[in-house]
Amino acid sequence: MKYIDPHIHCVSRTTDDYQYMARCGVVAVSEPAFWAGFDRSSAASFQDYFRHLTDIEPVRAARYGIDHYCWLCINAKEAENVTLAREVIKLIPPMLDHRRVLGVGEIGLNKNTRNEITVFEEQVDLAARYDQLILIHTPHLADKHKGTSIITSILKNDRRIRPERVLIDHCEEHTIRIARHNGFWAGLTIYPVTKVTPQRGADILEQFGTTMICVNSASDWGESGPCNLTDTCLEYLHRGHTETEATEVFFNNPCRFFGQNPKWKIRPIG
Amino acid sequence: MQDAKETLERFFLEMRWRCLSLAADLDRIERAPGGASILATDPRLAQLREAIGVLTRGGPGRAEQVQTIFSDKTPPPR
Repeated sequence: MKYIDPHIHCVSRTTDDYQYMARCGVVAVSEPAFWAGFDRSSAASFQDYFRHLTDIEPVRAARYGIDHYCWLCINAKEAENVTLAREVIKLIPPMLDHRRVLGVGEIGLNKNTRNEITVFEEQVDLAARYDQLILIHTPHLADKHKGTSIITSILKNDRRIRPERVLIDHCEEHTIRIARHNGFWAGLTIYPVTKVTPQRGADILEQFGTTMICVNSASDWGESGPCNLTDTCLEYLHRGHTETEATEVFFNNPCRFFGQNPKWKIRPIG
Repeated sequence: MQDAKETLERFFLEMRWRCLSLAADLDRIERAPGGASILATDPRLAQLREAIGVLTRGGPGRAEQVQTIFSDKTPPPR
């Protein structure tokens, strides 16, 4: 079976992970821009990071037969510094035409602060002005429900934003309805302890159906890994769902969301 | 030795995760065909409820009490 990991931070992962993904049938990944494990001191650091995402990581992934795409933004965690964030946002427009860039993301909120909201609104505006797909980061743990509500309110109030071109990521049991009822795509991040386990991921797929849902590992600097994506698929299959149904979730849905950008070349199977 | 606050800091997310997983496990059983009946009658789930009761009461020795709840208490074979 073929997989796509629609949200993984390859810059923080080892070559062992690429080997694992290749062995398991992961043929493509998308990597949102995010935190580097530390707060960067200048916009120049982001310029280099964007070059890493657009030019370096695709070459690294290709060695394992994996097609690598990315998203650009300043992440919510570093958006507290509005001055720096605005300098970074200015770097983005000239890079949006890059053949590996799928859109603006992962933008969103971290601690739901006023500054984060300001930077989020400015990046939503950027995406709208350049007609870009949007990948949304929702906050973690206790901040998730409130943050998801704030984010979706902002998006709904901007008439330029078409919900089907937005994926609300890191949804869980208490926030997935907020995304789905407003017509957005929903992302499930299989990241045990702080997000969703493979078992709960399969539960959510069974309860909410497989339309407009993508599942990802969001592997990053924390205790995470690409096996969480494949383990979720195995759990889903173990419950009696067919490989065709699993392919819809773990391959075709990312193709459908990303395929709204013509730069994404992989077509759904079947 | 870590103090209580440090210990909680270290383990809270896992404790939260275990609680959430257990809730999801029970939801999964309830949604499955025959779920309501199993939840009401299966003796293992009765043990589980008893064990959860131990968690909500104060006092030391919770782990030992929970182990005892899930232990075979029948007499040894003769």
